[in-house]
Amino acid sequence: MFLLDGALGGQRRVARDMFVISIEAPEIAASVRAGQFVNLGWSPGPLLRRPFSVYRVDGDRIEIVLKAVGEGTSQLLAMSAGDRLSCLGPLGHGFDLSAGPKSIVLISGGLGVAPMPLAAGEARSRGMHLTWVHGARSSDELCTEADGHEVIWATDDGSKGFTGNAVAAAPDADLVLACGPNRMLAAVANRWPDAQVAVETYMGCGTGVCLGCAVPLTGGGYDRACKEGPVYRAAGVDWPSLPSHLSYAVRA
Amino acid sequence: MSVSVGAVKLRGPVLAASGTFGYGTEVPLLERRALGGMVSKGIFLRPRDGTAPPRIAETPSGMLNAIGLQGPGVEALIRDYAPRWAGWDFPVFVNINGESAAEYGELAARLDGVPGVAGFEINISCPNVDQGGLYFGNDPRAAAAVTEAVRRRTRLPVWVKLTPMVSDIGVIARAVEAAGADALCAINTFVGMSIDLNAYKPRLSFRTGGLSGPAIRPLAVHLAHQAARAVRIPVIGIGGIARAEDALEFMVAGCAAVQVGTATFANPRAIAEVHDGIASIFESKGFSSLADLPRYLPRD
Repeated sequence: MFLLDGALGGQRRVARDMFVISIEAPEIAASVRAGQFVNLGWSPGPLLRRPFSVYRVDGDRIEIVLKAVGEGTSQLLAMSAGDRLSCLGPLGHGFDLSAGPKSIVLISGGLGVAPMPLAAGEARSRGMHLTWVHGARSSDELCTEADGHEVIWATDDGSKGFTGNAVAAAPDADLVLACGPNRMLAAVANRWPDAQVAVETYMGCGTGVCLGCAVPLTGGGYDRACKEGPVYRAAGVDWPSLPSHLSYAVRA
Repeated sequence: MSVSVGAVKLRGPVLAASGTFGYGTEVPLLERRALGGMVSKGIFLRPRDGTAPPRIAETPSGMLNAIGLQGPGVEALIRDYAPRWAGWDFPVFVNINGESAAEYGELAARLDGVPGVAGFEINISCPNVDQGGLYFGNDPRAAAAVTEAVRRRTRLPVWVKLTPMVSDIGVIARAVEAAGADALCAINTFVGMSIDLNAYKPRLSFRTGGLSGPAIRPLAVHLAHQAARAVRIPVIGIGGIARAEDALEFMVAGCAAVQVGTATFANPRAIAEVHDGIASIFESKGFSSLADLPRYLPRD
């Protein structure tokens, strides 16, 4: 885990109201795994940092994908190239591909696209047969950056690709990875209890001390999205008890 | 920069506040030389799940939390954490909680003499089941009863963390002093509420939460000062401290030491920065020790 100040790079629009920004963070870029996140702070900014999955790595820079959903994300998007960000990470446990599945399916919805380019890259480098399904409500909300991978698109309104959600469009595989709104992940859990899913929660410190990012478990009790998560076995999460629609949602 | 809090000698005036530093094993990247001491996450006799999410909500210059004192219970604390504390070069105080005065006493008895446990910080902001849920900390007699229950079961230092949700903090401060407290920690969080205007309901599942952060600092400085005026035992200041200047406000206002809490969430190095900042301010002012710092503390 590193805490470093890095310069903000350029910003690009990848869908309606959705942007990718890059941050100079060499140590994090060199060590981040798919599904891990960074907790970003800036000055003057909000009291608490804001958590974001690492979207891509580009040399010494990491990229994150975000929407202006609250004051924090609006401030981030209003910053200029060269401004400094405090970057804490990589945090949490990412996806675990070490079991060596032959085939893998990535399912992402909306901002849940965030951890998938890294996951796709790792799956490809391990020689897995990769299928990536990405969905959104409509084509203009669909981030269509595919990072060279073949992607099955899905839109609720049928304006691009498969008509319906990404879960419905996904085939079966040895291993399923998913990220998106919690209700989408609950659907993933129904169909593939052993899927690995990256959850969204409110978050405070990102390092395991504040216990603010509690994830309710089917076995009872809670653990911490920032420490034991944010990737969980899908059937391990008590989905009806996990709140969604966060004011500073980063993936929903 | 060493300080004394009663009989307890600390190598520095900045401690980690309960609930913001886990059990001392979690916060990475902090240079531990800066830690005067730490107060553990609050513990009960038995394990507790804590409250349902959402548990935190950011507010202007602050945050609300309703974690619900999630924790593994005292036996796990003794097994998993105290042995590690025993090897550390700063004291670890255990923040203790209960639903009755007797439970606090039992906790103190169980932890007394456990290597690694340097003392207690009593959280009196818990509902008293025997009194229909009235908070111990709001009633001088209940606050004193809890303090006495702990005092009787241990020779270790007993600190009492005061709640700000009272009409006269001096009354509670004097009551727990008389009951045998060695020091006071002032203050705990303020009870607050924030509404989600999309859902038309509170942002926290628990409805209310404890407000911390810079938002409460002037309130905390005032209450710590009021407590310090009321008693002869030392007061440790807490509330929205993020920089050295914030800590010095509490110390000038009568506090012997300070605790840094919420600031650690945003900045894992906050404690070291506060500690080092105090040292450099002292150097620039020509103070050789904390005893040289002028105080504003007219006695009641």
